[in-house]
Amino acid sequence: MKNSGVRTMDTDIALVTDIKAGDKKALALLVERYKKLAYRTALGLVGNKDDAYDISQEAFLRVYRSAGTYDESQPFLPWFYTIIANLCRTWLKRRSRRENRMLDVDDVSYLMIDDANPEAEMIRKESIASLRRAIMNLPFEDREIIMLQHFRGMSYAEIADLLRIPRGTVMSRLYYARKKLAKLMRGSDG
Amino acid sequence: MDKHLREMLAGYVDGELSGEERQAFEKELGENAELRAELEEFKRLKEVTGMVKYADLPEEVWESYWASLYRKTERGIGWIFLSIGAIILLGFGLYQGLSGMYTDPEVPLWMKIGVSGVGIGVIFLLVSYIRERLFAYNRERYREVTR
Repeated sequence: MKNSGVRTMDTDIALVTDIKAGDKKALALLVERYKKLAYRTALGLVGNKDDAYDISQEAFLRVYRSAGTYDESQPFLPWFYTIIANLCRTWLKRRSRRENRMLDVDDVSYLMIDDANPEAEMIRKESIASLRRAIMNLPFEDREIIMLQHFRGMSYAEIADLLRIPRGTVMSRLYYARKKLAKLMRGSDG
Repeated sequence: MDKHLREMLAGYVDGELSGEERQAFEKELGENAELRAELEEFKRLKEVTGMVKYADLPEEVWESYWASLYRKTERGIGWIFLSIGAIILLGFGLYQGLSGMYTDPEVPLWMKIGVSGVGIGVIFLLVSYIRERLFAYNRERYREVTR
């Protein structure tokens, strides 16, 4: 067994290789490294805290069970992100069938005013409610790109790597997603 | 608006353009009122989204995160063993119960046909369910690789 002090410096790929062999300590380290990222990603895609928590846990279980299918020549994060995104898609489809996309099931507190921002107090609660609704009414792919750029603050190069798409596609997807979001917010305000 | 301008607009709002690209975009901006209106709209949007953040979970939830996940990994293993054991016991029980029934001349024919019908139905449903699960699994793996 490797020394735990050294193991915290293991690369993601080394940890998944150990998980393939059934090493739960490697899984624990990977979980510690990415649990918040997994939760926030799922939260941005499904807009519900409880479900985002469950999805993030299920994503790590998938990593544990499917580690054998992981291609070690590829970076870990895009693979992990795809697992989370697929789980979110499935969850949203189920919810859509179950609730017929009723907005009441959304967690109204999944987006909150950033206390660190001094201008935050100037925003009316209605504007935030309108933003929440508009984001949850965006098609999945638009919500995804907005979540990555606006809320996770990722650069175009990072988004391109994560989604495995060209930089130009990131730019055009952002353009269309913003157009739709602005339109939905206008509709919601008016 | 053409595709290139749309891409440049997104890049301009996010400060992702090179110096040369930014200069070319600003030149176009001076001549294009529609582009200026969209730029303002996107800036407002960025301002609003910049003032909110995703709600975090309480620290105690994060502290117990691994313990909760660990229990789920154990439960998964438990279910696998339980399922295998149940299938073996059920299969053996059915074999013992049914093998005698088919050779027993005192069991009426309608009973044998009825039991056979139920058995065939269960097999069909089981095969259909397994096929569906395998199909879903393959599709998901495919997405993971090609995305």
